[in-house]
Amino acid sequence: MQSVPIDARERRFQAVFSAMLAAFSYPGRLQAPWPAATPCIDACTAIADVLIDLETSFYTPDAELHQRLIRTGARVKPPEQADYQFYPLLSEANLPALQAAPVGSYLYPDHAATLVIGCLFAAGLTLRLQGPGIQSTIEQPIDQLPAAFWTLRTQVIQYPRGWDVFLLDGSRLLGLPRTTHAEIL
Amino acid sequence: MRRRLLKAVALPGYQVPYASRELPIARGWGTGGLQVTLSLVGPCDCIKVIDQGADDSVNAANLRRFIARMTGVETTTDALQATLIQSRHRIPEERLREGQILVLQVPSPEPLLPVQPDLAKAREMHADADYALMWLSLYEQLVQYGTFTTGAEYPVLVHGRYLMSPSPIPRWDTPMLHQAAHVTLLAAGREKRLYAVPPYTDVYPLEFEDVHFRVESQQGRVCYQTGARHKLMNELPQPDGQVRYQLSDSGYATKLWQHQQGDTVTIGATYYDDAGNFYHRGYLKPDTDPA
Repeated sequence: MQSVPIDARERRFQAVFSAMLAAFSYPGRLQAPWPAATPCIDACTAIADVLIDLETSFYTPDAELHQRLIRTGARVKPPEQADYQFYPLLSEANLPALQAAPVGSYLYPDHAATLVIGCLFAAGLTLRLQGPGIQSTIEQPIDQLPAAFWTLRTQVIQYPRGWDVFLLDGSRLLGLPRTTHAEIL
Repeated sequence: MRRRLLKAVALPGYQVPYASRELPIARGWGTGGLQVTLSLVGPCDCIKVIDQGADDSVNAANLRRFIARMTGVETTTDALQATLIQSRHRIPEERLREGQILVLQVPSPEPLLPVQPDLAKAREMHADADYALMWLSLYEQLVQYGTFTTGAEYPVLVHGRYLMSPSPIPRWDTPMLHQAAHVTLLAAGREKRLYAVPPYTDVYPLEFEDVHFRVESQQGRVCYQTGARHKLMNELPQPDGQVRYQLSDSGYATKLWQHQQGDTVTIGATYYDDAGNFYHRGYLKPDTDPA
């Protein structure tokens, strides 16, 4: 039977999307959709290729990433309106932007923002994660994120409202949907 | 579609609107499930398509052939081998494992439709988690008939928040969604809604403290081909007025039959054991007499 050929680009998108779906389905488990030691900005671009296009909007404070994402045709919007927000390096200065990010409404909780944030999955704070997709609990060390981020996340999420987060480092991806409860140990 | 799938997994049981695309298949024939499958499938996947438990029905065979032709992906009838299972109205009897994805075709995604035909008002009821009308409907069933009369599509509460229609799977299959290892994605192409049950998520059917949800009784039913018991059976009326029973899950039946012929096949653990006990002990509560 002859099948329609799938090109390398679509295969790459499919692999990244599969990892993203697995990351949200099994929060706290690290997925590896990229070769090891991929620069964080390239990993963000790979995710953006799957998530954003003409129908969506984005925000990133990173100038280089901004130039890359603008080529997708997605609209540039301020953090309080953007559907997808990319922070290759999250600092304390970015937290007001996160606080303003859309969290959806009770009628349309799916109108909340999705955040893609760079970090390191080693040392740093250890989080205990609980919720759908996790059989009991998972403990995961995460570094290079301001401690205030976790406080802000707890304040912002009032289920079903709240944003969903993809954390990534050079080679791995971790999903934190709004249903995941994160406790700092 | 991919963006909406991620939102659906992040909001268990919530109906996410999506732009259901045109396909070379009429709406109502599994276009929702097909769009989800096509957006997920990759070169390493192995796909199984079933319709009412059967791999060989016209609908299942055509969808399977279409998916294979469009993607070049491998196909199987074995639920254990498949990485992606698209199904109409059944969940396989063998327990699905982590990493597997079950895609259910959904004709009517709105569980509140029987009690609230205005979909805008139904959305407000979901926003308020106001499911009083559904509880009342179940109570009226009890008062009028002495039992829950809702068969397939029995409403469930997902992650303690959203009322969800588990597609028209029989009540027998409804408990299989609770704390499952696999992810379940449900899509309605005609209604342009999709929703999800992530792995290890609470899924409870609506039931009263003293009157419990019950699955269809399979007591005394024996598959005439394999001798299997305590699995969901098809009822086959015979010309002489008698009835024979046959396993609804044809892939599982084939493996049982091959095993009996001495072939080497791997048969997985099932959701219900040979005595009819569900694998999450205590989930199905014992019958109580409402009187």
